[in-house]
Amino acid sequence: MKKLIYLIVLVLFSGHFALAQEEEQAEKKVDKPVRSPWESGTLVNHQTSVTQYKNTLEMVISHRFGPVENGISDVFGIMAPGANIRIGFNYSILDNLVVGYGTNSQKKYQDFQAKYTPFQQTRENTIPVSLTLYGNAAIDGRADEDFGVNYEFSDRMSYFSEIIVGRKVNDWLSVQASANFTHYNAVDSLLDNDKIGLGFGGRIKFSPQSSLTLELGVPLKIEGISQHTSFTNHPKPHFSIGYEVSTSTHAFQIFITNGMGILPQELYMHNLSEFDSESIRFGFNITRLWNF
Amino acid sequence: MRKVKMSVLISCTLVMLSFVLMSFVHEKKPWDIPAKYQSMKNPQAADDAEMIKVGKMNYSRHCKSCHGNMGKGDGPKARSIDADLGDFTSAEFQAQKDGVIYYQSFIGRDEMPNFEKKIPDDEDRWAIVTYIRTLKK
Repeated sequence: MKKLIYLIVLVLFSGHFALAQEEEQAEKKVDKPVRSPWESGTLVNHQTSVTQYKNTLEMVISHRFGPVENGISDVFGIMAPGANIRIGFNYSILDNLVVGYGTNSQKKYQDFQAKYTPFQQTRENTIPVSLTLYGNAAIDGRADEDFGVNYEFSDRMSYFSEIIVGRKVNDWLSVQASANFTHYNAVDSLLDNDKIGLGFGGRIKFSPQSSLTLELGVPLKIEGISQHTSFTNHPKPHFSIGYEVSTSTHAFQIFITNGMGILPQELYMHNLSEFDSESIRFGFNITRLWNF
Repeated sequence: MRKVKMSVLISCTLVMLSFVLMSFVHEKKPWDIPAKYQSMKNPQAADDAEMIKVGKMNYSRHCKSCHGNMGKGDGPKARSIDADLGDFTSAEFQAQKDGVIYYQSFIGRDEMPNFEKKIPDDEDRWAIVTYIRTLKK
């Protein structure tokens, strides 16, 4: 009888242990998101899939100098008047949801934005890519007269929305592609209110902290959505090449680009500069993080 | 008698001087490590190449600016820090338990900031400890 009880107890416990082991294994199998696919929430002008951890405040200072066309006389645009500056603050409400506000010297844009990453690429490739949705609404803050006759407040509004798919290919290479839609409530009579564009970005990491970044934004000529029979002053693609270094609480990005705009809708709708030896300009982004 | 007076004066001066000099030397404040951390063991193997790589990457990002490239406490920010930054290559540092290094690294105290929010993943934290172990001379 005793032996039987021992046996029953043994069987019961062994089952329990086996279950516990299984649970442990199942716990280990949780496929976590890949480590730092990008260094910061922005690459140069485009967003990346990176959202900071919940309750993090991020300050972003962006600066675009003048074009290099005047050479050494204005130190290749660095001392040129009319630089474009934006200071923005982003707050992570969730690990994958960020909201932000920024103020921009160009057209006195005041922008409100949100970024959401519904899923991230995982280490074991259960999810091979990350998906990010980004949207903003900006208010052109210039004087009423700049909007011509029949001014209405809604003329100041512009919107940008983007869907980004990215992948960290290996430890040194990350790539992303995006499709985006820009809408301006009011534009000059020969321009379109809407523009669809494609964005491409890449990061080549060459040391634990430093990377080379590349970015291209192409506004598309789509006759179907054009309000005119021909395209006038169609925006030019913007290309950027930069160097990025990141630390615990900062990311520094310094680059050459042909776009003056910092807000993406400005670049996709109004950029008329080519990427040539006269029109390119220096720029930088600096981020600072605070955890709460 | 005069000789005695002189020697007392000299010894007093020396004692005073030694106090003054000692005040310039940083006294090592012992860490008060809770028992929970004392008993923690690094789950990663010392030669786990993947974790060493991850640890190195995170060390470069979060630790290097103060603790230096090789962990000798000679990073560019070290000069503006009063606290003892330690020498990760020393036998004294390496003799500490895994959990003690974990506590010092991620919980911190005074000028050593808390990194729990910046490095929320436990695997990433241990990877830094694994990497720090490789800095041993």
